[in-house]
Amino acid sequence: NSPAPLPERAIYGFALFLGSWFGFMLYLIWAYVPETWLFSLGLTYWPQKYWAVALPVYLLVAIGIGYVLLFGINMMSTAPLNSTHTITDNYAKKQQRKKFQEEAIPALRDIPISEVNRMFFLSEK
Amino acid sequence: EERRYRSASGEPIALRALQHSASCRELAVRCPRLQLRSLSAVTSAVWLAAYGLFVLSQNSMVLSAAIFITLIGLIIYLHFVKIDQESLLVIGSLGIQVTSSYASGKESTTFIEMGRVKDVVINEAIHMQKVIYYLCILLQDPGDPQGVSEIVPLFQSSKPRLDCLIEVYKSCQEILVQRKTAPQSN
Repeated sequence: NSPAPLPERAIYGFALFLGSWFGFMLYLIWAYVPETWLFSLGLTYWPQKYWAVALPVYLLVAIGIGYVLLFGINMMSTAPLNSTHTITDNYAKKQQRKKFQEEAIPALRDIPISEVNRMFFLSEK
Repeated sequence: EERRYRSASGEPIALRALQHSASCRELAVRCPRLQLRSLSAVTSAVWLAAYGLFVLSQNSMVLSAAIFITLIGLIIYLHFVKIDQESLLVIGSLGIQVTSSYASGKESTTFIEMGRVKDVVINEAIHMQKVIYYLCILLQDPGDPQGVSEIVPLFQSSKPRLDCLIEVYKSCQEILVQRKTAPQSN
């Protein structure tokens, strides 16, 4: 799964490049060429030109709202001050405690908040 | 005796610690009073906005409504929002009592019996784009001796900083540590 260049990837990239250029040219033609010219060519079934302006505006407003929405979602999913998620979680509740072995480094574990508080604030000798 | 500290937002607060007996302590944090300049600023802003509306609409009810709103708003603020003092009363064998007194004189009290209290700790959490230290009571989970069922945050309006919280924490721990050494008195 390396990101190195491969022949298939080059072909996909070129097809996407051609496709996006074609789509952009089609959008410009639809937006700028008057309707009568298109009708005279026989192409009558196009969407209303209103959408040539409306869709980009919708997109930009959605991006702007997305910034505010993301900020709001972040604030809403922050745990409130009275929730137990600020001191523990499912992994810490179910952790197994390894037995203490002499001369070995103690196993990694989640230390309960009472112990941490005592270490920080009560043992200032 | 009162010691001066600062709240998390920089306002001056005062801590008063009383020792009633060997196993009973009271710690009270007093918040700054309502400032005259902020009261006049808000009142002038509301009345200027109402006068602007009056000039636009030529309806004199706007002015009387603004006066009414200012008075009602001030009464609601003093009675429900502005806290004057928050105190913590720890009685060793009985429990912990948390009292908030509002600026209008109203007092709201909560009592937690000692059997439900697991510990009183200083926790840090994210609050409104800041990380603050706050003191909280951990309540015991009846099914699990190591678990915590609920957290009761204390001093929510005055939000003291860490130096004040350490004083309160050490005071509480001196009493809480006695319950392990003397369980037969329960």
